[in-house]
Amino acid sequence: MASFAARSFVAVLRKDLLLEVRGGQSTVALGALSLLVLVVLVFAFNPAGGERGAAAAAGALWVALVFSGMLGATRAVSGESENGCIRALLMSPLDRAALYAAKLAAAFIFMAVAEAASIILMVLFFNLEFDLRVMRLAPAVMLGALGFAALATLLAGISSRLRGGDLVLPLLAVPMFVPALIAGVKASAAALAGAPLGEFAVWLKVLVAFDVLFVAAGYLLFEYVAGEE
Amino acid sequence: MTAALIEARALGKSFGPTPVLREVNLSVEAGRGAAVIGANGAGKSTLIRLLAGLSAPSAGGALLFGEPARALAPPLRRRVGLLSHQSFLYPNLTARENLEFYAALYGVDGARAAVAQWLERVALGGAADARVRGFSRGMEQRLALARALLARPDVLMLDEPFAALDADGAALAAALLREAIGRGCAVLASAHSAGAMEELGFAVFTLNRGKLVRPQASAVRQSPPRPSLARQFS
Repeated sequence: MASFAARSFVAVLRKDLLLEVRGGQSTVALGALSLLVLVVLVFAFNPAGGERGAAAAAGALWVALVFSGMLGATRAVSGESENGCIRALLMSPLDRAALYAAKLAAAFIFMAVAEAASIILMVLFFNLEFDLRVMRLAPAVMLGALGFAALATLLAGISSRLRGGDLVLPLLAVPMFVPALIAGVKASAAALAGAPLGEFAVWLKVLVAFDVLFVAAGYLLFEYVAGEE
Repeated sequence: MTAALIEARALGKSFGPTPVLREVNLSVEAGRGAAVIGANGAGKSTLIRLLAGLSAPSAGGALLFGEPARALAPPLRRRVGLLSHQSFLYPNLTARENLEFYAALYGVDGARAAVAQWLERVALGGAADARVRGFSRGMEQRLALARALLARPDVLMLDEPFAALDADGAALAAALLREAIGRGCAVLASAHSAGAMEELGFAVFTLNRGKLVRPQASAVRQSPPRPSLARQFS
């Protein structure tokens, strides 16, 4: 049974990635959105480097993460609405938890690609150096992407079935993600400012806790949000 | 008495204050076929959706294999095929990729060979590696039929299976349905008119304002070799 669930997970994820490679809609849109956010914020903050510059860069990066996350999760879930494919998935022997895990993995991969591009742009726009401090951003950003993808995938399961669901997703997702967002911005700012590892690690632990919460909630609840009609 | 694989018990569905189906009783046993005909908006698609477990009834029960259709365990879901108005196909995948994806979800043994065989059977062997986005509606319907039959289901529900098919396509679909019934599959189909369904030997019922009307003697042709024993209780 577990191997069947694993095979189903692989089949759905493989299909989503194949569709993304064919269409490229999610990654291109996420990249473009991240670029737009960073350009707007770099002109708004006009950073001059130092600790304030690091904080501004961290904030801009997480704004880009939140926007791109909403788009990525919506794409991963709403893509199934075309030709009613979500109904076929729900009727199949596919375990709903495996479906959620595959959708989460797809949204995470889309976000991770967009975030990697965003970090490069952030370093260029905010006059930072490609050094160890930027490398230390990776765990915070990846944990943030995982948590937001987990939350947004669950909520996209609800919003994709509603009229005006595109408006519902940010209204639900952003307030629920705020505590993790604060932790992510703090961790990223500490990493970019070269703060001691201890200060940085505290915020990472908060991010891990929220990731566990969001992933567990999605895993347990997706069956109900996806199955109801 | 053979147990019904598809069963509606006093099944009702309302959208808000508007009733769409009222007190529908119907059962289809293994190796039998039943068809529900009616005008647009009569509730045919709603009935199929309820029996497929995709929608919750407002009253009564929708059962498959004697279990509530909404709560089927995965091993039983594996035995159900559905052809809907929507094709359930991914436009940016090829015909072969679509079937291989569903074969993986249903755990079809020898998936690659089975997919190739089904593509040939629905006369899409030559378009196997073309994306579905470029298919005509008829080609898409044939591929959707192959998708529904791929895992050799024991229960098959078809919402207007002959829609968009030309004469050759309709004959092909009819042959596949006969074959499914021949191997013991219970089939429930909806259609606008009774003709093609009577030719298949299906018991034909009419949905009128949400009520399933007992078929008139002339409307049900118990054609050999497998007369339909689908029964209406009401």
